[in-house]
Amino acid sequence: MTTTEFQNPQLGAILRFAMRVRQANMFLVLVLALFMGLSFGGIMIIVTQPLLLTSWSHFFSHPGGTIASSFNTVWFAYEQLFQGAVINFHALRVLIDDPSKANLGIVLGPLSATLTYATPLIVAGLGLAIGFRSSLFNIGGQGQVILGGVLALLVGFSIHLTPILQVPLEMLAAIAGGAALAGFAGVLKAYTGAHEVIVTMMSNYTMIAILGYLLIQPLFARPGVLDGASKAVGVSGQLPYLFSHINSSLLLNVGFVIALVAVIAVQWFFNRSKTGFELLMVGQNPDAARVAGIFSKRSIIICLALAGGLLGLAGMLELTGVDHFVTPNFGGSYGFDAITVALLGRNKPWGVFFAAIFFGAMFSGGEAMQAFTPTNIQFSLADVIQAVVVFCVATPALLVEIFHLRGGARLVSNNNTGGWI
Amino acid sequence: MKLELRGITKRFGSLTANSNVNLVVNPGEIHCLLGENGAGKSTLMNILYGLLIPDEGQILIDDEVVTIADPKDAVNHGIGMVHQHFMLIPVFSVADNVILGSEPVRPWPVIDYKAATTRLLELAKEYNFEIDDPNATVENLPIGAQQRVEILKALSHDASVLILDEPTAVLTPQETDAFMVILRSLKASGKSIIFITHKLREVLALADVITVMRLGEIVGVTSPAETDERGLATLMVGRSINFVVEKNPATPGDVVLEVQALYVEDARGLTSVKDVSFDVRAGEILAVAGVQGNGQTELVEALTGMRHPSSGNIVLNGANLAGQSVRHFLNAGVGHVPEDRQRYGLIPSLSISDNLVLDQLDDSRFRRRFGRNLKAIKANGAALRESFDIRAQSEEAPVGALSGGNQQKVVMARELSRELKILICSQPTRGLDVGSIEFMHRQIVDIRDSGVAVIIVSSELDEVVALGDRVAVLYDGEIQAIVPPSTSREEFGLLMAGAGADKATL
Repeated sequence: MTTTEFQNPQLGAILRFAMRVRQANMFLVLVLALFMGLSFGGIMIIVTQPLLLTSWSHFFSHPGGTIASSFNTVWFAYEQLFQGAVINFHALRVLIDDPSKANLGIVLGPLSATLTYATPLIVAGLGLAIGFRSSLFNIGGQGQVILGGVLALLVGFSIHLTPILQVPLEMLAAIAGGAALAGFAGVLKAYTGAHEVIVTMMSNYTMIAILGYLLIQPLFARPGVLDGASKAVGVSGQLPYLFSHINSSLLLNVGFVIALVAVIAVQWFFNRSKTGFELLMVGQNPDAARVAGIFSKRSIIICLALAGGLLGLAGMLELTGVDHFVTPNFGGSYGFDAITVALLGRNKPWGVFFAAIFFGAMFSGGEAMQAFTPTNIQFSLADVIQAVVVFCVATPALLVEIFHLRGGARLVSNNNTGGWI
Repeated sequence: MKLELRGITKRFGSLTANSNVNLVVNPGEIHCLLGENGAGKSTLMNILYGLLIPDEGQILIDDEVVTIADPKDAVNHGIGMVHQHFMLIPVFSVADNVILGSEPVRPWPVIDYKAATTRLLELAKEYNFEIDDPNATVENLPIGAQQRVEILKALSHDASVLILDEPTAVLTPQETDAFMVILRSLKASGKSIIFITHKLREVLALADVITVMRLGEIVGVTSPAETDERGLATLMVGRSINFVVEKNPATPGDVVLEVQALYVEDARGLTSVKDVSFDVRAGEILAVAGVQGNGQTELVEALTGMRHPSSGNIVLNGANLAGQSVRHFLNAGVGHVPEDRQRYGLIPSLSISDNLVLDQLDDSRFRRRFGRNLKAIKANGAALRESFDIRAQSEEAPVGALSGGNQQKVVMARELSRELKILICSQPTRGLDVGSIEFMHRQIVDIRDSGVAVIIVSSELDEVVALGDRVAVLYDGEIQAIVPPSTSREEFGLLMAGAGADKATL
């Protein structure tokens, strides 16, 4: 490039516009990934429905009818998926005819369910994204979620203050627990070279075992129950529902607001804070960070502790927002789902936010699809669609090849994970 | 087997790595290929081994033109290569590593380990190699022994020409002696050896023919009988672009940096800087000359806090910084333009603005009450881009997209924008085009004239002479002498070859 190009304001504007179009490519990848996921899911529906398969065996006598019935089935399933995840059109029509609180509650129901499910995932995804952007691979999400949940539970049932005091106290306990667990892995990595993947992965099993042990101890176990459920968090320790005044079935709680704040905080952390910038430096080029006087051991510990703190917080949000007690399966697959969420969100805070909401939508939509389709299309179909979408987003090279996108190569090496994923 | 390279030219973009290179290796000959890093030795050998395809030229074996498209072709033609970084599998045994890729099988797919061990021992006996235990795990062996395994591996493929890429770079002196014995016995059994190095002493001890390369061209073919270390050093660093730096005589002020009896160990624990003492005054440039690999890297690392010296003092403005952290050195006013700017100086994925403040995150100019002041960082980026003429779309462009010269400008601009007491530049113009070289030299002279002490480490003798107000010559980790830049080229050649018995200090 020659200098004249930069001196010419018009050309400069064109170049800037070109840069913007390039960024739109990521959007294109998302759209195409969704298309791929839905197409693949559609094929799965067709080949798993006996009725449709029978009609395909008569394809050559009634081609139009076969295609139409296949299309209708798939369309109806996806309609239920969408209505279960976002908004139910029928309920909306009822609401317009009869604007009452009860009807408004029904309209908002699916969205509330989606966001409720997404809330802990947002926070957990943020935690993992912090690690990935600094080239640290924290596999211990599950253990950190469990520890955060258990400590929040301890605070939740043992003291009774006003929610204004108790909820922050629970958050503090959960964040401290997760941060200590992951930070310990950071100390081991920084001072002994123990690989964080191994240490954090093993900490998962340790925490699962500890949880199982705690739940049969009198301190935690709910009296008179044999299924391993714990005592419940007191009312003052539960996250208040945001829209319960409209309808008591709307479970969306303050946790979502906390998650939003966390997104903004992490965004600020990487863009604005000195420590966040140092973590980026160490993650992207540890040698240059060292020349610039940055103590990378400290960065490793801070980074993992922050990540663990967010995962602990996710455990607390799950506990105090939804079930209010702990079972031996507490935390479920959050730790691992969050890896996928971070990947889908390309480790950007708002990306993680929307990725988690997408996961939440597929979850609540999948339930609706299974309930309302005539042949009860399995819930796991939503998982299939979700998996294909993640697969496509994680391997943009594949989409670039399939759809012959132009200049897509730079998308491939652009996920800030230092080569881990 | 007679090997000939005829008219080999290889270009990478605008860089010509090999230009019309002719080379003949006769059977039973140890042929040393001598030259500094970047002279094109490795490119030439990678072409011979099929890792690179030449743009022009031919490879002849026994006077017949052959095509070598990949390493497999090379092996089939009897060419073996021992890389500087061994291509061994650390957790495999010696025998396993040697048979890797050509495992004897009995019946397929069972590997006949007994035959493998027998073959290994036969080979070792044939070439007088000491193999104590063919079943020893490679990672537990000393480096010298690992190298013997690597050579055996090449020999097991019936190589008649062996390419050894800087084989002694990783060896201790004792291992080097043992290695030389091996080479002589290989030669005695009729193998030809191409030996890449920049260590003059070994070349003179071993070579039958010496080919010296510089900037992609062959600048001399000679033999130990016809030359000496001085002659070789002059050939290696001799002729190049003519640097012209306009500068007034220095006006040295107070001593800024005083280095006293400094000893530094390298990553392998070998002492690579020995008893180095010198001082640098404000407003003068001390240039450090020497053939690469004589302790320059470790010296710079010690002077910037990257590597802690094993003993000695680094006194900056009266305070001893030896053993302190990098941050201490930076805060004390040490500017550092590292040798490998891509790896140590920049974070390619971050913007120019961000890279311009990498080591200044604590500077109040770039801080707000909480967090970094992005506006100020961007403004700083725009201002430095303007004044250093960094060619880029904007100061927000990622630094990895810039050319080498512009990247070096970013590093230099960053260091000069701090308050410096001393600036240490290692190979400040390596790989840059003539325009950028002039620009860098101008900056260095300007910062000197503003009263900052400067240390330049360069393996380009012309650069050293053009920039330095005094020149320290390093050989084998020791300062041979500190001389004025007007010293004759022959004298420099002598000093760079380690003949500094009468240490004349100016």
